[in-house]
Amino acid sequence: MKKDRQPSVTRSENAVRKLLPEAQSRRKFLLKAGGAVAAGAFGAVPMRGWAADPVNIGALYPTTGSMAQIGVGCVAAAKLAVDMVNEAGGIKSLGGAKLNLIISDVQSDTTVTRTETDRLISGNKLSAIHGCFASALTLIASQVAERAKVPLITGSSSDQLNKGLSYTFTPFARASQFAQAQLQMAKLVGDKPKVAVIFENTAFGTSTSNGLKELAPGEGVEIVMFEPYSAGFTDASPLINKVKASGANALFSVSYLNDLILIVRTVKQVGLDIAINGGSGGFVIPDFYKNVGKLAEGLQGVAHWNHDMDDNAQKVNVEYKKRTGYFLFEYAGGLVAQTFMLADALERAGSADPQKVREALSTLDVSSGYAAMAPGGKVKFGPDGKNVYGRPVGVQWQNGDLASIFPKEFARAPMIKS
Amino acid sequence: MWETVAQAVINGLLIGGIYALVSIGVTLIFGVVKIVNFAQGEFVMIGMYLSFYLATQFGIDPIVSLVVTMPALFVVGVLVQHFLIRRVLGPNDMPQIFLTFALSLLLLNLALMLFSANYRTVHTSYSDEAFHLGGLYIPVAKLIAFVVAMILSGALWVFLHTTDLGKAMRAASQNRDVATLMGINPNRVFCVALGIALALAGAAGSLLMPFYSAYPFVGQVFVLMAFVAVVLGTLGNVVGALIASLMMGIAESLGIQYVGADSGQIVVFAMLLLTLAFKPNGLGGGRVR
Repeated sequence: MKKDRQPSVTRSENAVRKLLPEAQSRRKFLLKAGGAVAAGAFGAVPMRGWAADPVNIGALYPTTGSMAQIGVGCVAAAKLAVDMVNEAGGIKSLGGAKLNLIISDVQSDTTVTRTETDRLISGNKLSAIHGCFASALTLIASQVAERAKVPLITGSSSDQLNKGLSYTFTPFARASQFAQAQLQMAKLVGDKPKVAVIFENTAFGTSTSNGLKELAPGEGVEIVMFEPYSAGFTDASPLINKVKASGANALFSVSYLNDLILIVRTVKQVGLDIAINGGSGGFVIPDFYKNVGKLAEGLQGVAHWNHDMDDNAQKVNVEYKKRTGYFLFEYAGGLVAQTFMLADALERAGSADPQKVREALSTLDVSSGYAAMAPGGKVKFGPDGKNVYGRPVGVQWQNGDLASIFPKEFARAPMIKS
Repeated sequence: MWETVAQAVINGLLIGGIYALVSIGVTLIFGVVKIVNFAQGEFVMIGMYLSFYLATQFGIDPIVSLVVTMPALFVVGVLVQHFLIRRVLGPNDMPQIFLTFALSLLLLNLALMLFSANYRTVHTSYSDEAFHLGGLYIPVAKLIAFVVAMILSGALWVFLHTTDLGKAMRAASQNRDVATLMGINPNRVFCVALGIALALAGAAGSLLMPFYSAYPFVGQVFVLMAFVAVVLGTLGNVVGALIASLMMGIAESLGIQYVGADSGQIVVFAMLLLTLAFKPNGLGGGRVR
């Protein structure tokens, strides 16, 4: 489909320009990015003739299309992480080799993801890949990487990524753990939580809500209402009417942004006193607060990463804010940690060979530094590529920022009543 | 029990007012110009984005921005009629269908390119407020939208029945050839009809903005309901479209309440099919407006 080999980076930059014409801070980011493109065009690195060959890291993110908002934020974080590693001296066991990020736009599309992953791997000598943020895309990319024997590290949460893949590594909590954490958070409201689950009648909504339903009895949570709705409705009032009638004191909404905004507004209008938990994904990004405003205050969610976890995370957050104007959100933050995990593996492998990097990743065991920025502060992969210490963190919108509130050992702020 | 029903009816009526603005536009165009405007929803979307930018760039309240969006879309309507629809008003229906369909797709994809797929909301002081009456509540933004929608519909009715131009429009819709023989300039009448219909779509956009998000596909959500209302209320019948829209709003709301939250549309379309089975011309009966 695409004969042209060069312009994946260029294209993603255009996307940034198109999407964020108004953001001042992004302009600076663009200048830097533009410089990177120019550098790439003129043969990139060696200023000093004796410098070690750079280590190529592939980055697959949707920087155009429906998922672009998050994808663009991921690319900014990926660049920040690479800069951090390089400024700290690169990979020492490889003679101070610098990391070289090769970005590819997967356009929020599964077919494009397959071709772009293929193109990225066959057109470049890669040591590892990270991507794609959306599970649906990552599942495809991980298959391609598996066949090409290139390790892929990802923050995507689908449990399917841990089935039968030996080149895929998932350092953060899995989707099934998210559901469990969400149910446990309902108990913050009271000892006997009565939960109303409303979900859009799509594959995403149905599978997520069924996960909640299955785990509820084991967690001692009563589900008093379990109701699918048609996504993209014009009016949330009838639905909230039903929630009110069910007598629930906690509401789990498995929804995309637009529906969620209507739901939150309607709950406020009805004057319903209920704790709302919006889960993960689109609920825990800066854009959510931008759209919902003050109404978001007190809403709860779950994340695989949060910027207030430890000192390192906070340091990276400050730098990311400086570059983009937004706080370092879940996926982007996890991505910085992932880059340091790759650096750690490269350091120990002493080689840029993807298979050796895979070996080193499989024996990764960190509990300090940027690579250990994960809830719990420890990363070690099991045979299924899952971080054996991986756990989600419960978060709450407080003053336009996300604060960790659950479980107790991860809490950095007290829960506020919404 | 009665409280839940009453609340469901209130919710339905309020959203029905918005459906009415969109469907009256569609039915007016069909009645007068005899074409189906598939792009009506996209003009609602344009109205929303206009209101959004007026609100975020100039701090104009979305409801107040009606005074900008309605004239702006009126002009667009006149231009669309004069430069596009007029050319295809021949004996063959197909070019007309594809013209408005193509217009819809073009506007949709232009919006995707210009505004991206993101949701845009405007937050006004009354966006989250509601009046409480006993156990019932009436959201302020929706009440305003409903009242303005009814005022605009009433004004249109008065226009159609008391002014010369309005009467000319009704005449042209009843029999174009005879109207032309009576000295009515059809193109002028068609231009005004398109203008008014699109101005109503623009009004719907502005009225929606305080409580609904703008995104490129937003028109599709409303235009589907509008088409059902137009057919239900008899094609070309303005009053019929208004009543049918309100009925559909209520039916949808009651459906969500008592059948299931994913079945609001099942109730609406079942209602449409039943009506068509017994009254094939819609509830309005004949062709009277």
